[in-house]
Amino acid sequence: MDPLDFGSLAHIRILLLPVGPIKRSDFEKWAYEIRSFENIRLGDIPADAREERARFMPGPLASGHIHLSFSYHSLPPSHALLSLFRPSDFPLGVIGIASCSESHAMSSIQSQFSTLVKNTFQEGSAYPLARNCFVFEEGENDANLGTHAGLVVIPGMMGNKKLYVGTLLAELCSNILAEFATVIQALESPLGNEYLNAALFPVLPPASDMPKPIDNDIPMRSSLPPLPHQSSQPELGTPVSLLRSKIPTPLITKRNSSIGPGPPTSPYRQASLPVQSSKKKLATIGAVSSHGRLFKMLGDFFLLAGRTMDASVWYNEAIAMLKGSQDNIWHASALEGLAIIPILDAWSAEKTDIVDGEKEPWSDTGTKLSQAIDLYYRATPPSDTESGYAFVSWFYSRAVLRYTTLLYAIWSAKGWGQLAFATLLNTGLGVFPPTLTNGAPSSQNAKRSSYGAFERLTVATGITRGLIADVLAQVHGPWLLHLGPNERISILEHTAAIYGILGYQRKEAYILREVLGCILDMIVCSRDETGGSRIAGAGLGIQGVDMGGTSQGSVGIRANDSTEGNDSILKLVKYICQVHGVDLEAIKFGSASGRPASLPSQGIDGDLDVPQEPFGWPELQIGIVREAIAVAEALPDYPSVAQFSLSALKTLHLVMSQGDQHHLFNTASKALSTAKRRGDSRYIEYWSGQPVVSIEILPLPLVRLPLEKPMSLLSREDDNVPPVLVGMTDPFLYNPRRLTAGQGVMLLVQKEAFDVVITLRNPFVFDLELSSLSLSTTGVAIETKPLALIVPANSFHPVTITALPLESGQLTIRGCVVQAPGGASKEFLLPLATPDEEARQERRHSTMACENGRSKYFGLEARPWERPNHRTSVYTQKADIKFLQCKIVSEQPLLRIRRTSLTHGAVMLYNGEKSSIRITLENVSALPVDFLHLTFDDSTVAPAQQALTEGELSVFETYETEYDLIHRPLFVWDKKKSRQLAGPGEKVVLTVGCFGKLDCTSGTIHISYAYCHRSQNHLETPPEVFHTRQLSYPVLVTVYHMLECHGLDILPYTPDMIRYAGDDNKAGHTQTSLQVENIEDWCIFSVEVRNTYGIPFEVTFEADHRTSSATALVPPGSTTRVLLPLRRFRLSEEQITQPIPTLSDRQFVVAKSNLSSQEELVQRELFWYREELLDRIRGSWKETGGMRHGDLSLRQQRLTLPMLDVLQSEDIRVQLSVHSYSGDENPAAVGSSNASSFFPPLDEFVYLHAEVVNLSSKQFTLVLDMSISPSEHVLYEGVLSGIPIGRIEGRSSRKYEIPLTFVACGRFDVTATAYIPGQKNSAGHGQITVFVE
Amino acid sequence: MSHHLFLLSPSDTPLYELTHFSSRPVQNVSSPLASNLPSWSTSAFAGTLTALSGASSANQQYNPQGGSARIGGGKDRHVIQMVANASLDVIEDVMRKENLMYLKSVDKFNEWTVSAFVTPGNMKFVLLHEARNDEGIKSFFMDVWELYVKTMLNPFHTAHTPIRSAIFDARVRASAKKYL
Repeated sequence: MDPLDFGSLAHIRILLLPVGPIKRSDFEKWAYEIRSFENIRLGDIPADAREERARFMPGPLASGHIHLSFSYHSLPPSHALLSLFRPSDFPLGVIGIASCSESHAMSSIQSQFSTLVKNTFQEGSAYPLARNCFVFEEGENDANLGTHAGLVVIPGMMGNKKLYVGTLLAELCSNILAEFATVIQALESPLGNEYLNAALFPVLPPASDMPKPIDNDIPMRSSLPPLPHQSSQPELGTPVSLLRSKIPTPLITKRNSSIGPGPPTSPYRQASLPVQSSKKKLATIGAVSSHGRLFKMLGDFFLLAGRTMDASVWYNEAIAMLKGSQDNIWHASALEGLAIIPILDAWSAEKTDIVDGEKEPWSDTGTKLSQAIDLYYRATPPSDTESGYAFVSWFYSRAVLRYTTLLYAIWSAKGWGQLAFATLLNTGLGVFPPTLTNGAPSSQNAKRSSYGAFERLTVATGITRGLIADVLAQVHGPWLLHLGPNERISILEHTAAIYGILGYQRKEAYILREVLGCILDMIVCSRDETGGSRIAGAGLGIQGVDMGGTSQGSVGIRANDSTEGNDSILKLVKYICQVHGVDLEAIKFGSASGRPASLPSQGIDGDLDVPQEPFGWPELQIGIVREAIAVAEALPDYPSVAQFSLSALKTLHLVMSQGDQHHLFNTASKALSTAKRRGDSRYIEYWSGQPVVSIEILPLPLVRLPLEKPMSLLSREDDNVPPVLVGMTDPFLYNPRRLTAGQGVMLLVQKEAFDVVITLRNPFVFDLELSSLSLSTTGVAIETKPLALIVPANSFHPVTITALPLESGQLTIRGCVVQAPGGASKEFLLPLATPDEEARQERRHSTMACENGRSKYFGLEARPWERPNHRTSVYTQKADIKFLQCKIVSEQPLLRIRRTSLTHGAVMLYNGEKSSIRITLENVSALPVDFLHLTFDDSTVAPAQQALTEGELSVFETYETEYDLIHRPLFVWDKKKSRQLAGPGEKVVLTVGCFGKLDCTSGTIHISYAYCHRSQNHLETPPEVFHTRQLSYPVLVTVYHMLECHGLDILPYTPDMIRYAGDDNKAGHTQTSLQVENIEDWCIFSVEVRNTYGIPFEVTFEADHRTSSATALVPPGSTTRVLLPLRRFRLSEEQITQPIPTLSDRQFVVAKSNLSSQEELVQRELFWYREELLDRIRGSWKETGGMRHGDLSLRQQRLTLPMLDVLQSEDIRVQLSVHSYSGDENPAAVGSSNASSFFPPLDEFVYLHAEVVNLSSKQFTLVLDMSISPSEHVLYEGVLSGIPIGRIEGRSSRKYEIPLTFVACGRFDVTATAYIPGQKNSAGHGQITVFVE
Repeated sequence: MSHHLFLLSPSDTPLYELTHFSSRPVQNVSSPLASNLPSWSTSAFAGTLTALSGASSANQQYNPQGGSARIGGGKDRHVIQMVANASLDVIEDVMRKENLMYLKSVDKFNEWTVSAFVTPGNMKFVLLHEARNDEGIKSFFMDVWELYVKTMLNPFHTAHTPIRSAIFDARVRASAKKYL
């Protein structure tokens, strides 16, 4: 039993020693057998017949026990001074355990045993008092081994060895008890008493100093002559046997009245009175010292002998004497002895009888113990002996622990009972109290009991944890330094254990730090390495400690360290740190064998970016971590050093100073390299949080980017929708799918490298080195090289990794595999930031944020790793995590632009000029190109499209804009004409038409190409898509504005104009003659062309498919009017009432115009006629003296209503003519030079012939009015006005004739107007001029 | 005589620390055992032990003129923090049973007596002192509490924000001067 245990004062310690050649397992087996005897009943002790030795022997029917404790070690020699003060600490008996099979070995065993005992114990030491050697016979042979003195042979064949061992032990105890008497005899002599009182910690007087007995023939030890006569027994001169028979009687009666001896009451006082007298007598004899110490020793021995009543008598006596003499330490020791007697009694009684209601049964013991503590505390050890302080501190601490153990045992046993006694006397602190384990086997989890369990014990016993801790706290103080290392460690260990069981983890950690300090100090100092100064420099938690001198550099010779026990020390370190909220195992050791075994992916939820509220005391945490690292360095355990450093960095870097971070990081890297050098097989897992912030695939350059197109596109050769309006073919104004279509999967090409940009984060103040960084992918195989890099301190660092996909298919980039130098690699997953994922993250963040700032749990329950245990509402829905995905398409051909016909990629054009560009493409890949398609873009497209999409334009403007986009593109390319195949290495020439469009500044030619007709296995389903690549060729366009048209006009032919038309020819214009056959059918188209450029241009207008044309030279800066006869035309009613069309298939936008229907009709009419006009008139220009030519657009011009009237041929035409009838009934026009002038003779009967022609397809009912002026010179028959014509069907005519005669010469104007009755406006009109000569 | 005040958040993190030297004399009742201490090892770990067991401050008590300057800094500061932290065990135990905010002399360790004050928000004010001064400490704690509550009125101040306000510091010091 441990000397610190409560009952150690009443335990006879027996040392077990292995003797001779004995196997460890055998020794342990037999030792276990012997150790199972924890106590021996007094009745079993064989009595010694000799009287002087029978003093401590139990009475014949005594009830009680001798308690035994066994140890394997003797006390250190320095403790020899305590042999009389505290005999229970010493091994009073020695048992050698030997195993033997042959008889001749017996003698050697015997000699070995005696030398062993001699070596173990100091020369002249009082103990051991008895010895025995058990020789356990081996094998089955029952050879008689004979008997040797001092040896007991236990035959192997003996059945019940245990019983025999018990008997032997009882015998040994009997011997010890007998020897007690001898010791006391020596001390009872005056000289012995002097020795006893000579020093604070006296020793037994050596035999030589003892006065020789008077009769020399009696051996010294066996009889000290004066003692029986003047012993300190109360009844002087009475034999011991008498004493034994007499004393118990009054005591038993006393016990009935009160528990415990207490201060000696009346009967005993009377008994002790003679003692005083004997003391006086002693004094007169010459011994000046009191007998207090002697009485205390008697008490000690009686206590050991199990005779508690005697012991309490003697203790009380001793206390009474020592109280006066200020012998504090002996006094306290006697109090301690007295204090445990009730516990022994209660244990022996095996029943709990709590009689006293108001006083707890242990209060008396407690009081005595606290008195003892106080006495020890105030004791002043003699300063001359160095060990004095150590011993007093030792006893003080033990007294405190004894008191604490008492309280603790009662508390943990739920009160005064057998369980408490067993704890106090037998088990000690080694066993976790069953009341706190809830019946479960004491596992690691059950170690920390709940608050409720503690409180239950407190309520049951009335002892609070605070009280126990309060008592225990007294043990801790500077005096611990007085103690020797072993004692200090055991005291501190006990203290820590009690704190631990009480649930006071922080205090436990505090004490454990001291334990560690002791142990490591011993480890370091015992090393032969120049005083351990190597370790001193390693940095400690406590600053300002003197580190001692620094060692000089020398060649170190390293012996193989024993690593036994290192794990336990590290366990302690980790536990201490854990209590302070630092998880030193935040970073685990990776497996050594499976080196590249990247740990299971936990990167998604493992590391939180949410700033969790810190736990603990940063200053302390850092100090403790530094100490932990120093401990690991001192052991040395380099992987642990690295583990601790990195774990601390990971968990504490937020509160750590820069210097500390640097220091820890350097320590870790040094330790890792050292561990590696020494062949340590452990690897540290990756430590630095989630380093990967983002992963992006760098988009391929445009020339390499494949675009996915459906296969059906190939078959649809003719696109109805012009590509320019592609953006507007969508029938919906808002199409949500268009947005998502843009974010399709990224396409990469097989066997073409792509770049991935990884953004890494380093939250630390030092540069973080990564020995390997590679992509973690699933799907198709890729070829990539791991990257070693250094992430700069406290920054985000983008890194580009190049990878080469080896096959086509789906590629998923899950994250990164990161490896720190000397560590294991770890995979970090980075889910795609989809809305789902973001929502999930958001939920988690808000959960954390919600908990932040609220302290639902406090203290140790708030430690970071405790938190998840408390949370019961956990979001369990497992969201499917999406990763960055891309599609690898099969190999693609690659074209490049070899050359173009343009210089510097620029083209200069006149407005409306047509030109062409030649582009030579070269296939630089090994695959053929069998599809080629060109699309174009220019700077005018986007604004126009923008205007169209905005929808603010009127219908007419919309049409104009769309027309411009569709029919007048900058570039044109005839797909049919050019070759579309290019084998590997071949060249293709493309010719692109180019049109000078005003306001255009740049254009782009997009060349899409693909290899779509691949050979494939027949069994495969043909792919639904193919991939194109695009080459873009930007062209800088300059368009000069040189000719502009304005002043468009349409003029009618009048008869006068015809007459003078011939004169116009002499004006020198190059235009064609305006002569027309029938002026009714024609009109004159007129437009002004201005040349704003520096050179002259020749302008040509053609009408009606080159039936007529006019050409004019426009000099620079001048304006030329061009006239052109134009055949009038009429559009059908259905045609002109059509709404203005939109050229694209755009969704119809409700017209915003608020025109009336009439106005709208007019607008439509104008529109359609203008379209027809522009269709008929073609303008073109030519550079004079040059090759350049182009179109002249009239689209800027507007058509007005008067112009329309002229342009539009009428519905009904009245054709007038003057006829004369000659003999044959055929009328003949008279003297008409043309259709509009007649020359009838004077005074002759002629006929005015009016033909009303309905040119339209409708039928009209008409009335005709005619007038001839001057009318007084004309005679006619009938009426001229209101002539009913009747109904005229469409495309038919009706004739009407009036006979008349001109009665005067001169000119007559004849007009005829046809009108529909009831309508004011004339429907048709006719006019002729008549000249009468 | 020195006092050490710590304001600890519910997660045991100190939000404010104060070391106050009082002019009042210390009644020295240390054990004779605490004297005449050996220096038994020069290793750094022994230094840890010396400091933690309170031996270094015990030594200082014997040469007060040189020692008082070192209190509050160096290894003593660490030990004092350790003691304050360790006393939380007892404080947490007691505060669950006692219905009081002011827990006077709740713990003793080495030469220090620990008094504590637990606010309703579970903030713990821990004061390490050497002499008994219950009423003064109570008044001091009430003052500190009031000041703390005023600080907490700041909406940006959570239960885990360290208190760096100079005004708070000055007022706590004034209060300490008054009562301790």
